[in-house]
Amino acid sequence: MLTLLFTILACGSGDPAPTAPAAPAPQKTRTLTLAGYTTPREAYGKAILPAFAAKWKQEKGEDVKFEESWQGSGAQARAVKEGFEADVVALSLDPDVKVIEEAGLITHDWRAGAQGGIVTRSIAVIAVRPGNPKKIADWRDLTRADVEVLTPNVRTSGGAMWNVLAIWGSGLRGHSGVTAGDRAGGIDLLRGVLGRVSVMDKGARESIVNFEKGVGDAAITYENEVLVAKKEGQQMDYVVPPSTILIENPVAVVDSYAKKHGNEEIAAAFVAFLFTADAQRAFAEYGLRPVLPEAEVAGLPAPTDLFTIRDLGGWDAVKADVFAKGGVYDQAAPAAK
Amino acid sequence: MHSARRRRPTGAARVIFVLLCGWLTLLLLVPLAALVVTVARSFSAVVAALTAAEALDALLLSVSVAVACIVLNGIFGVTGALVLIRHRFRARRLLDALVDLPLALSPVMTGLGFLLLYGRSGALRPLLDAAGVQVAFAWPSVLLATLFVTLPFTLREVALVLEEIGDSAEQAAATLGATAWQTFWRVTLPDIRGGLVVGTTLTAARALGEFGAVLVVGGSVANRTQTATTFIHAAIEERQEAAAYGMALLLAATAIGLLFLLQRDRK
Amino acid sequence: MRKPPMHAGASARLSGDRLMQAGALGWAGLLVGLPVAALIVKGLAGGPAAFFAAVTEPAAVDALLLSIGTGLIAACVNAVVGTALAWALVRWDVPGRRLIGALVDLPLAIPTLVAGVLIIALCGPQTATGQILAGAGLPLAFGRGGIVLALLFVTLPFVVRAVEPVLEELDPAEEEAAFTMGAGQFRTLVRVLLPPILPAVAAGAVQTFARSVAEFGSLAAVSGNIPHRTLVAPVYILGEVEAGNPAGAASVSLVLLALALALQPLAAMLARRAGARRA
Repeated sequence: MLTLLFTILACGSGDPAPTAPAAPAPQKTRTLTLAGYTTPREAYGKAILPAFAAKWKQEKGEDVKFEESWQGSGAQARAVKEGFEADVVALSLDPDVKVIEEAGLITHDWRAGAQGGIVTRSIAVIAVRPGNPKKIADWRDLTRADVEVLTPNVRTSGGAMWNVLAIWGSGLRGHSGVTAGDRAGGIDLLRGVLGRVSVMDKGARESIVNFEKGVGDAAITYENEVLVAKKEGQQMDYVVPPSTILIENPVAVVDSYAKKHGNEEIAAAFVAFLFTADAQRAFAEYGLRPVLPEAEVAGLPAPTDLFTIRDLGGWDAVKADVFAKGGVYDQAAPAAK
Repeated sequence: MHSARRRRPTGAARVIFVLLCGWLTLLLLVPLAALVVTVARSFSAVVAALTAAEALDALLLSVSVAVACIVLNGIFGVTGALVLIRHRFRARRLLDALVDLPLALSPVMTGLGFLLLYGRSGALRPLLDAAGVQVAFAWPSVLLATLFVTLPFTLREVALVLEEIGDSAEQAAATLGATAWQTFWRVTLPDIRGGLVVGTTLTAARALGEFGAVLVVGGSVANRTQTATTFIHAAIEERQEAAAYGMALLLAATAIGLLFLLQRDRK
Repeated sequence: MRKPPMHAGASARLSGDRLMQAGALGWAGLLVGLPVAALIVKGLAGGPAAFFAAVTEPAAVDALLLSIGTGLIAACVNAVVGTALAWALVRWDVPGRRLIGALVDLPLAIPTLVAGVLIIALCGPQTATGQILAGAGLPLAFGRGGIVLALLFVTLPFVVRAVEPVLEELDPAEEEAAFTMGAGQFRTLVRVLLPPILPAVAAGAVQTFARSVAEFGSLAAVSGNIPHRTLVAPVYILGEVEAGNPAGAASVSLVLLALALALQPLAAMLARRAGARRA
């Protein structure tokens, strides 16, 4: 009955949109599906994808057509897990790739490469209005009553998790007016900031676009998000707090989907391409911090205390301590009135 | 009909009328005018954005799905309306309730319902895998979700007409020896034409405008499951204002065109 | 209603009827019944404790209350404005009447996401309107005011379209008689005009409310989505889906569904009473 239904549907729609090619036979045009978090879409869309397509065409004589999707990292991971058959995922943080891995869709060791599966880096910063009229310099300033803050929702956005960890870690490490190791003080700092949030979007990009529309005095975001916005002609500055976190974004082939589409070779080649100096320079051009030293651009600000997720005990510990139910985030989030 | 006898408003009524016009202007006309002005200001950029492959793919998907909904829900709508109004059978009330359900659900819930059925951990997954069909995050999910939200329109409009005209003409045709098909084509169909047109218009408008359900179950994948509305959503995030507002105006203009048809038919 | 077929083709027609009934039921069942059943099963699968925990989650409760509250406001405003509009369209000889009539249907046709985008484009904090409104202490965009405004936009036609046909069937002579006998316009309104159209107004208001608590597209663009403050129920549900909690999302969905199902018979009854007035 169902098969019949779908046959009818297929005839009825007259829609030529491609379903996943089942046979791995050689084709003239290959379709590679990419599921990314919201922030690097310009780097991929304008530089990386065209460059890879040209390279592949030259080497293999096949055209490459990309199907791209850009959503909050957590939302994207869940979509892939639920059946969005992406060949490659470029997410904001390690645990989101792990969600897909634990669903049995990534069966190889995606962290095996020289960079541990991390393809780009950035830092958590505070976007402010041009000239920084509210004189914001540190996370503590975001707790002030005259400052309205934007940050996305940690339930769906990887960027939001990085933002929370930047504030929490900064406090734990004895910055932003918190004594080192003072958990209660750290929670107070986080509570103060979250209490000033006026719009909580699903992803980092929605958040910064709303900031551009004039909402709020400050937006906590990726450094590259601000740099891309400025590249697109938006008027804003950004402040690097003395203590902030190094953001590390993973990339992985979803091998079971790639295999199903007959795309194992091209997906692996695509991910390998991302780690070439050319691709890394393209990422750098769009404000990301490359993982290859030779691709680095000079002049990006350096925080005095730049810490990593490992300094906070690694993702497993952080997930359990900060983001689990009743954890640090829940304690700091403004409760019902 | 007493509507021919209209009075010119006087005194307080005149004030109320001006207030009402102001309300409509603020709520409807100003936003629409703003959209037109924004698009007109960057017209060449809008044309370029809307003729790009991504925009065309999104439009093609939206239009194909809308046409499929009109045809499939049209056939269902006429059948269902005939069954509901003319037949007496045990499951009649069940059908009646099912038809109204889509109006009661938030689009997000619709998307979730389909995801729970057709997603990778969904209830129908074994069946789909056996058949080699991918539904969630592929075009069939967009079609299914849109069929769901547009299901009631044609049926309800046709049912209204059927109820109004009664079945004496059909009975007469049957008594004169016409077969069921002849009765349907020669008697019923011409009578319900008006309801069919209104239902089709509403179906088309709703299908082109559906956002939440196709976002949840389709995932807004460019060149794949992106529809005109999810294209707007993506374009805003990419700061492609020309593309976003251009597509918005295109949808609004299509909608107004459909409305025009609807108005003409109601007269 | 249908009488038993009386001629030779009776049995053939009967089986044709059966086929039509089965087809219609099958289509609606597969397309509508199945996903709704999946929603119900998923929402209740964790047992009563899990269901209760999901729907009493403070953020969920506040989201539901906000949806219900803004929906009630939209329903009340539309009950008044919609009735007045319907009256103006039916009773008054005013310039641009046809145009106004067409305008009222506009929200039915404009995608709700577009409506939300337009509201932000017009009343956003950067726009002059937005700054004036914010200065007046009424920041619309991303606040609760914006939610109500978006709802008023998408639900505008419901009351008007419910009341219009009833008014058209009513004899204006009664109202005119009341006017000429010296009753003021207001008293005419309350004593003569209101009672017969009240069921239609209520039906439209119920429809407005039901649509409001379900609305997603425009609110996704307009609201600030802050839990406890500006996060409406459908956006909350989407957040739970995307956060990998489909069971919680389904549970909260069931509350909205129950609300809608409770309202539908009410709306149907009111519509019937309104219809009875017309007959």
